[in-house]
Amino acid sequence: MKLQTKRTVIGVLGIIFLLSLVFVQAMEVVRKKEEAGLATAHITVPVTSKGCVECHGQEKMTPGIVDHWEGSTHAKKGVGCVECHKAETQDADAFKHYGALIATIVTPKDCSRCHKKESEEFQHSHHAKAGNILASLDNFLAEKVEGFRDDEGGRNFFNPHSPTPGRPEIIEVNGSASAFVGCRQCHGSKVGLLGKDGSKITFEDLKPDKNGHPTVKQVVANISKSDDGRPKLHPETWPNTGIGRLNLDGSRGSCSACHSRHDFSPRRARQPENCGKCHMGPDHPQKEIFEESKHGVAFRDLKEHMNLDSETWILGKDYTQAPTCATCHMSGNSRNGGVITHDPSSRLSWTNRPPVSLVMDTDKDGKVIKTTDPAEREKLLHSSAMEKRDNMKNVCLHCHTPDYVNGFYSQYDDFVVLFNEKFAKPGKAIMAELGKQELLTKIQFDEEIEWTWFYLWHHEGRRARHGASMMAPDYAHWHGMYEVSERFYMELIPQARELVEHAREDGNTKQADAVEKVINEILSRKEHKWSPKFLEKGKHSKHGLKPEAERTILKPVGESAKTTKPEKPKIPAKKDAPK
Amino acid sequence: MGVVGNWFKERLPVSGVELAELTNEPVPNHMRRWWWCLGGTPAYLFVVQIVTGILLALYYQPSPETAFESVRRISEEVNFGWFIRSVHKWAATLMIAAVILHQMRIYFTAAYRKPREINWMIGVSLLLCTLLLGFTGYSLVFEQLSYWGVTVASNICDTVPVVGSTIKQLLLGGDTYNRNTVPRFFILHAAVLPTLMVVLIALHIAILRLQGITELQFEDEPEEGSKHFDFFPDHFYTELIVGLVLMILLCVLATLFPAGMGTHADPLTTPEHIKPEWFFYPSFLWLKWFPGTIAVLTSGFIVFIMFVWPFIDAMICKITKRDDLYFWIGIAGVFMLVGMTIWEVLH
Repeated sequence: MKLQTKRTVIGVLGIIFLLSLVFVQAMEVVRKKEEAGLATAHITVPVTSKGCVECHGQEKMTPGIVDHWEGSTHAKKGVGCVECHKAETQDADAFKHYGALIATIVTPKDCSRCHKKESEEFQHSHHAKAGNILASLDNFLAEKVEGFRDDEGGRNFFNPHSPTPGRPEIIEVNGSASAFVGCRQCHGSKVGLLGKDGSKITFEDLKPDKNGHPTVKQVVANISKSDDGRPKLHPETWPNTGIGRLNLDGSRGSCSACHSRHDFSPRRARQPENCGKCHMGPDHPQKEIFEESKHGVAFRDLKEHMNLDSETWILGKDYTQAPTCATCHMSGNSRNGGVITHDPSSRLSWTNRPPVSLVMDTDKDGKVIKTTDPAEREKLLHSSAMEKRDNMKNVCLHCHTPDYVNGFYSQYDDFVVLFNEKFAKPGKAIMAELGKQELLTKIQFDEEIEWTWFYLWHHEGRRARHGASMMAPDYAHWHGMYEVSERFYMELIPQARELVEHAREDGNTKQADAVEKVINEILSRKEHKWSPKFLEKGKHSKHGLKPEAERTILKPVGESAKTTKPEKPKIPAKKDAPK
Repeated sequence: MGVVGNWFKERLPVSGVELAELTNEPVPNHMRRWWWCLGGTPAYLFVVQIVTGILLALYYQPSPETAFESVRRISEEVNFGWFIRSVHKWAATLMIAAVILHQMRIYFTAAYRKPREINWMIGVSLLLCTLLLGFTGYSLVFEQLSYWGVTVASNICDTVPVVGSTIKQLLLGGDTYNRNTVPRFFILHAAVLPTLMVVLIALHIAILRLQGITELQFEDEPEEGSKHFDFFPDHFYTELIVGLVLMILLCVLATLFPAGMGTHADPLTTPEHIKPEWFFYPSFLWLKWFPGTIAVLTSGFIVFIMFVWPFIDAMICKITKRDDLYFWIGIAGVFMLVGMTIWEVLH
């Protein structure tokens, strides 16, 4: 090569090098702008989704979902619309949409194409089983007590008794509206397709195989479709992003319950407000409890310093200022190698959901072991509560000493066991005996005591236990155990006694005695002897017991009590107290 | 010559003519071919490493508590930090590749033979220093690969008879990975090894200048006429072109494939699958094939053979009366190294 040629080559290469430095500078400027929130991150629209973005992005279409997607990590990494919405020909809800075979609903099975580990963890979690509420007491409450469910006719429609001014077309409404709008938006429900005959076609009818493809062809043939070939979703079941949704492909859950579509923002999923859609209110106010705790106070104050946009968001590396729901229950931390879990129960040592809290020893399917036989428990055990507690302690130990953490758990255990033993197990035993002796009807919520008991464990009892679990003193005490105590002594016991008195009046002495025996046995325990009045109240003259005291803080308990001449209540000395 | 020129000349009595004579070494004709003038590439990349390394050291904090966070900060927050770190990373990779290629060129042209045995040994030492710089470099990030790489390497040292445990102690600053370890690796990476390399490179070039470059005669070259051309400006331009191409290549690699962050080191979690950087794949496979001490001693033996190869080659030539056996041994060696690397990539 001649010298002059070399000089020219050097000149050209020099210019290219300078241009590459200018390009680096431009990248840096864009990066800084994105960091400062002055520019949207660079996105890649995959060829397969170009048409979707262009069409849906138009003003009169759904520009919102396109905007949301453009701000997502998916967009940055080139994951477009079709990647998530794509369907297979055999899928029950698949349809051709401008050349692409897609489905409207994206299920965890779809997400697992890329997020396999997360999906598997989620399927194992209690979140995925939230749809089990569909056959529970809560569902009966919403559908029958709050609404209308025709168990015999098979139709749940409710006909208004009077016209709705301005809306004369409303001649019938869904009687389960409360369950649909309330329970199912958190718990999820069976997603249904509309049948040609107006029926609801769910996974139970489609019987999907392991690939999620329906196996009952005649049911598939019955799916109603719009003119463009799109299977119609049953309006009772969609929209629905309940976390335990039962999907047409047989999978459980909805990833968008936490990772809001279509931006799937990790930042949002890390904040307590995200969980607060469901974990709030009178029966499980975890969000409010968190806000009352010092953890919540610190979060409000230091949120801006918590690196919420970080890719990994590992406690102890990316932030330490305060924990959120995600920090303790799901996110990675420096002590566990930054491993995230999508099974929040893997760090819980108690489940405070049932009337009586249970130790979170779980079997291979993630179910809480309920048997009391130690040998049987040992046999079924797959993951112990103490292992789960150690997982949680790994989080706590980032800011607290081992003594502090162990002290907290000691206080928490004491609290839960106290609730279980003093109120929950006794309440459950009384209710069970009332049911056994047929002093209650088979129908739930048609007797006052059933509401009382429900309030005690489902609302106040949970508030107390959740308050203790997350260090919110006001919830543990005033919204919790204080109200539990009042409900127990001032309502549950008097109402149980009233039922006993009614039974006695009706001549059902044996049944009355059996329930009274349970009540008296409970009240004669030392933790209930702080006032002898409650036990006195149960002693009936006809049965060799002392008559009921008239001057009592308790409510009157029936006509038979009133026919007996009241005596001044006798308060026995401590040593004479009934055992 | 102006006032300034005179001022300097009075204090630095070097004439331009002498300087030109000193630097304008005649360059053999075969170096007009591009592939034969890559010897300067590792040196050029070494300079890039020094410059980017100094810039990184301004922000890097060598302690187990701060190392990972400071690297993350460099990559995500510091202005141009991601670029400098990425260039440093890619230049390291290219430097190792360039050193290996250069050494292969020397080997297959038998340029290590008398009188250049000493320079070959310095070259092998430079290769070892480069590999050590690569290893100590990725140990500084304090991610899982860093922690477990150091742990495995120190355990390997421990298997060396007699001196093994002492070397391990010196490396780690204790029996196991502890808070002294990261600073030690940083000092090795940023001070000891670069200084050693500067000295070795200076010696390497000085000897090269004293002995001159091995002259190769290609079949299509005329045997008559001048066998040399000027270093300046002809060869200087060539080197400048190589340097600019490298710089552009580094910019492209750094922007398209910037250096990322792995998982933070966790002494309690042994990774299921961990592999060193690609240039250690053959050694890694060797360690998997053979039990500890045997693998280490044989590896050491192979390095020793490489180091004294010019003398062994001379003996082979003398005994066999053939001077081409080195070529076939070299081919076998290259096939083995490439094969082992591919094997490790695939498994």
